Amino acid sequence: MRVAEDVIRARGLTLAFGDRVVLAGLDFAVRRGEVFVVMGGSGSGKSTLLRHLVGLQEPAAGQVFYGSENFTLASAPDRERILRRVGVLYQGSALWTALTLAENVALPLQQFTELGPERIREVVEFKLALVGLHGFEEYYPWELSGGMQKRAGLARAVALDPEILLIDEPSASLDPPTGRHLDRLISQLKEALGTTVVVVTHDVASILGIGTRALFLDAEEKRAVAEGPPAELRDRGPPQVRAFFGQAETGS
Amino acid sequence: MPVDGVAAPATVEMSLGPDGALAIRLGGVWRLAADTPGVARVEEELASGPPRRVTVDLGAVTTWDTALVVFLSRLASLCRDRGVDLERSRVPGGLDRLLLLAQQPVSPPEPRAGPPALLERVGERTLSLRDRAADTAAFVGFTALAMGRFVLRRARYRAADLGLLVQGAGPDALPIVALVNLLVGIILAFVGITQLRRFGADHYVAEVVGIAVVRDMGALITAVVLAGRSGAAYAAQIASMQVTQEVDALRTLGISPVEFLVVPRVVALTLMMPFLTLFADAVGVLGGAAVGTTMLHQALAAYLRQTAASLTAGDVMGGLVKGATYGALVAVAGTLRGMQAERSSEQVGRAATQAVVTGITLIIGACGFFQYLFFLFGW
Repeated sequence: MRVAEDVIRARGLTLAFGDRVVLAGLDFAVRRGEVFVVMGGSGSGKSTLLRHLVGLQEPAAGQVFYGSENFTLASAPDRERILRRVGVLYQGSALWTALTLAENVALPLQQFTELGPERIREVVEFKLALVGLHGFEEYYPWELSGGMQKRAGLARAVALDPEILLIDEPSASLDPPTGRHLDRLISQLKEALGTTVVVVTHDVASILGIGTRALFLDAEEKRAVAEGPPAELRDRGPPQVRAFFGQAETGS
Repeated sequence: MPVDGVAAPATVEMSLGPDGALAIRLGGVWRLAADTPGVARVEEELASGPPRRVTVDLGAVTTWDTALVVFLSRLASLCRDRGVDLERSRVPGGLDRLLLLAQQPVSPPEPRAGPPALLERVGERTLSLRDRAADTAAFVGFTALAMGRFVLRRARYRAADLGLLVQGAGPDALPIVALVNLLVGIILAFVGITQLRRFGADHYVAEVVGIAVVRDMGALITAVVLAGRSGAAYAAQIASMQVTQEVDALRTLGISPVEFLVVPRVVALTLMMPFLTLFADAVGVLGGAAVGTTMLHQALAAYLRQTAASLTAGDVMGGLVKGATYGALVAVAGTLRGMQAERSSEQVGRAATQAVVTGITLIIGACGFFQYLFFLFGW
């Protein structure tokens, strides 16, 4: 039964750039419906791990599973089919700057659904309303603030109702209130859409605020040193994890 | 979630009850992947005679995603607009939360003006032309000032960048410059021989090719190649730096982007063009010689001696000066278009295109100007 509710599983995953190993021997599972946080200091390979989960980089060893399917060994069409169920919000929003917000959200719908233009417009308006950007359909990304761009990126990531939402540093380069607002929005979307969320972040407030379980990556040991509910890791985790929570809180 | 788009398509059934209530029953699979009904029919029904209230029963819906939520959201706003009460029953869990989230209050943006009228567009284009001209003049002025600071060794730039730019603009361009100029030399010789033959003067082809290549074509063709090569690259690079705000980062650090980005490129191209031109001259003459020796059976040494005898040092120097000028123009056109780009990926492509167009236009214009000048002074 446990296997069935794991939506993503990593087995003996080793990430490397050429000969330089970033992380070795990762084993973890993301369960359906949770907010799984990947945390760690800068350079611990958090974002690299995310890139491996969506196939932008290939692991040096080990495998990634989506449900019961082996993503690492899957053929290109199979990978595409699997990724269709995954939405990604990139650190820099990665909105297409030559397109308006509406066109950004509409693109996946146009490519992967049979909806007519009128229905697509309705869905796009609804998705933008979900992230509080109703009325900004015709704006270009660069006309918006960083927080709004992030929210628009989120609207695009959930355009196809993904089962799994991968988010890279949601609060990076946002002020704390805007960051918390985005965290709340992610929780609400998760509750409403029933999405499983994987968040990569070093933002302690964000980790404690939205994470149900967390994985701590250690840059020095180049491996995952702790896994569990964030509050528990903060209070009873290994010393470097407790230090991470403490330092980041006093440092900010 | 199983994807079963074939099973039981989404259905909307409506019936008007005796108490004046419109009962809507939704059923089947409501997924974005399969096209689902819109609210148009309900809207017609509401318009034909507003019912007292509307009830929606979702009991028969088997699978759903945003498609259903959008339908209900539209229905809710239709009913709100007409002041009709809406009752929902057997709503799947989680759906209400989504609807609520979509209705969160937002600060609406300022309304956007629609597309302007023709006259307005003409006016706006004209004004933007004027602005662009002013922009260009300012850019040229700033570049000139920055070049002055460069000469006085007070400009801020990275020497390593300049080195790379020089290599990219000069040595890296040698193969393509060689190929194109060799072909131009061959073409000139062919045209020359066929035309001169009519007057029995085809043995003067060495002079024709030599003078044409050294005085003009070498520099001109090389500059056109560089406009497509380096000019486009400069524009694309600076434009993408605009997208990622790298140019802004320079500015706020107090580093003039003109000194840091424009000057090294202008210097690199202006410096390399005379060398490339000299190289192009040699290759062009060799191209002519290839035709002369095969078609006219001239000896290579004789052909080259004939070429050398027809040229003066002034011819060569004039060509080099032209080359340097073209180089500066190509670099200025490229960097100008890059700096003018806005923060969108589309603008990167546009900047590269415009850099080439502007560059070639400037080169040809300058070439015409040089012809007149050289003619006037009898050079």
